[in-house]
Amino acid sequence: MLISHSRGFAVTSWIGTLLLMYGAGAFAAEGEQLFAPCIACHGSKGEGNATLNAPAIAGQDAAYLERQLLNYRNRRRGADKSDALGAQMQAMATTLADDAAVAKVASYVASLPKTVNAAPAPGNLHNGNNLYQGKCGACHGGKAEGNPALKAPRLAGLDAAYIKRQFAHFRDGARGTDPKDAPGRQMAMMAKTLPTERDLDDIIAFIHRQGRPK
Amino acid sequence: MKKGLIIGLLVAAVAFGAGMFFGRSGKQEMTISSSTQGASYSGGFKGEGGAATTGITSVAGPAPTNVVVVKDGESIQAAIKAAPKGTIIRVMPGTYHETVYVDKDDIRIIGVIEAGRRAVLDGEKKLNDAILYSGNNFVAENLEIRNYKGNGIMGQAGNNFEIRNNVIVDSGVYGIFPQLGQNGIVEHNVVSKIADAAIYIGMSDNILVAHNDVFDSVAGIEIENSRHAIVEHNYVHNNTGGLLAFVTPGLPIKDTVDVIFRNNFVVGNNHPNFGAPGSTVSGIPAGTGILVMAADDVVIEGNIISDNKVSGIIVTDHAHAQNITADPESEPNSDRVKILDNVMLRNGYDTITEAKALMLAEGKMGAKNLDIVRVGPSPGSCIINRHQYVTVGVSDFTECDFTNTSATVNYLLPPVPPREIKPGERGKVVYLGICTGCHTYNGRMIGPPVQVIQALYMDNPQGLADYIAKPAKKRDDYPEMPPQDYLDPETRLAVAQYMLQVTN
Repeated sequence: MLISHSRGFAVTSWIGTLLLMYGAGAFAAEGEQLFAPCIACHGSKGEGNATLNAPAIAGQDAAYLERQLLNYRNRRRGADKSDALGAQMQAMATTLADDAAVAKVASYVASLPKTVNAAPAPGNLHNGNNLYQGKCGACHGGKAEGNPALKAPRLAGLDAAYIKRQFAHFRDGARGTDPKDAPGRQMAMMAKTLPTERDLDDIIAFIHRQGRPK
Repeated sequence: MKKGLIIGLLVAAVAFGAGMFFGRSGKQEMTISSSTQGASYSGGFKGEGGAATTGITSVAGPAPTNVVVVKDGESIQAAIKAAPKGTIIRVMPGTYHETVYVDKDDIRIIGVIEAGRRAVLDGEKKLNDAILYSGNNFVAENLEIRNYKGNGIMGQAGNNFEIRNNVIVDSGVYGIFPQLGQNGIVEHNVVSKIADAAIYIGMSDNILVAHNDVFDSVAGIEIENSRHAIVEHNYVHNNTGGLLAFVTPGLPIKDTVDVIFRNNFVVGNNHPNFGAPGSTVSGIPAGTGILVMAADDVVIEGNIISDNKVSGIIVTDHAHAQNITADPESEPNSDRVKILDNVMLRNGYDTITEAKALMLAEGKMGAKNLDIVRVGPSPGSCIINRHQYVTVGVSDFTECDFTNTSATVNYLLPPVPPREIKPGERGKVVYLGICTGCHTYNGRMIGPPVQVIQALYMDNPQGLADYIAKPAKKRDDYPEMPPQDYLDPETRLAVAQYMLQVTN
């Protein structure tokens, strides 16, 4: 029963993937070409590279990716002096020809299979769970899976250093200050409510338990 | 609050000293008390003149003489709308698919039961609430309520309420939920299949919850951020947790004080937890008889507590609880818990790892049962006849200087005046009376935390006011918010503005 059920599921998702590929084939091919320069830092599967400070982006929500690329291009992100790594990304984002190219590459990256961060960060999971549920989960989802309806990206699978860096940028006014970046401003307001750095470590430990095979 | 804490700590220090004294003379002697003799509890609520109130059996005042009859096929809401304040709405047997709002004083909705046939309010899993009342001196009797998504009967800042003889089944997150009310009775109701608390006393004072049959729900009877409540003679079975006295952090009322759980049957509360994952209530371990979390002066007496697989009684604090975010304005410990004689049978036969670890630490790993677990500080607490229970964490409880609560009949009052609403406080009262039923400031109760809502709507109160009138589901793992379009647009904007600026 269990076997036939899971086979049925596999067949269904395979057909689904096929239809998706058929429909978006041409579009995806262009996205793949546009993605080529990104591979050097973000990896060929978009899995990220923590040593190069490049976050995992595979399978991230397309609207979020597009919004961030546009934020870079419009100097709403990566323009603050304290965000040198953001400045690198900002330079790369401006090499995309136009908004249509941004949409294509975002859609391609969103279509890549999600990756799971290899090394879980240590921390107090009890405290991490409680704070995550109280402060983060209402937008980023109970399992850190993200929620496009609230413009909140997936956090599961992001490396600890990247989460900490972005959190500090939100908290310290390097990201999420532009009046046109409403979701960023929402996150900046929440980032200012976390009591201690250790709490953030605990939350990250909780996030790293999500979306990984049991 | 602060003073109470200091006194509590002093008592704890004295208790510690006494323990050392006994320690020197060898093992602490067994103290045997009789609950039918000995002193009665003299703490608790004191009415005017310092006397404990006694013998009041109704709180809603004299019954109105104006009577309106609603028959099958007619609308209860239409009758209430047309009725002057001070009306008995008599509802004949039949099925009524509607939400009933009561914002007038002295309205009584009384079902007529004919040969077992009741007036049934059926939400068909489409409607959110069966009855919402904000009027004072409200009475609901003899109704049957089924298939609502939000609440069976919810009170919103109404005082002097009586909710009795109702059958409430599978009706959302709260079965009977008086919020922000003073002086109320909830009795002889049969409540089951509720996804949070079957009977939830929220931010209320002077309450009697008695003779209810409560089962198949996540939390049976919950006294939360409330003062002066007596919960007695209830049959509470097959819930995830049976009786609960809680402080939920992040609500405007910051404490729970003076709760008596007595003479209840608390039996087999082992139902799998079906609360929304991540919510406060989903942190209750399935198999909990009585749970005291951060509530002060809780007396537990004369209950038959049996077959709850984790423990008969759990006393804990905010730091150890699951899915709880601390509130700097709430004192996080359960102070001055008083455990008198209870009949405890077959509890804790399949307990949780944390409790096993504590038993190991106290050298009780051979015990097959567990009646009482205390985790986290609980200063000033006491117990009698402790030798009869299997316990962990209660060795520093002192011997209570009373053995029963027979001198306390109940905490009810003659009808109290309506809650005073000052001009300009409309938003605040709606926030306290309605919003905080599901939203705490910084934690996940039913809906998202207020802090998150503030970030999402920081400079857009009108957007929030529009949302609450017609909510859209945005979170897969949260219940859908019921529309609050029964509030007029000015009130909705006032409460949105109030919500966006609260700081705890």
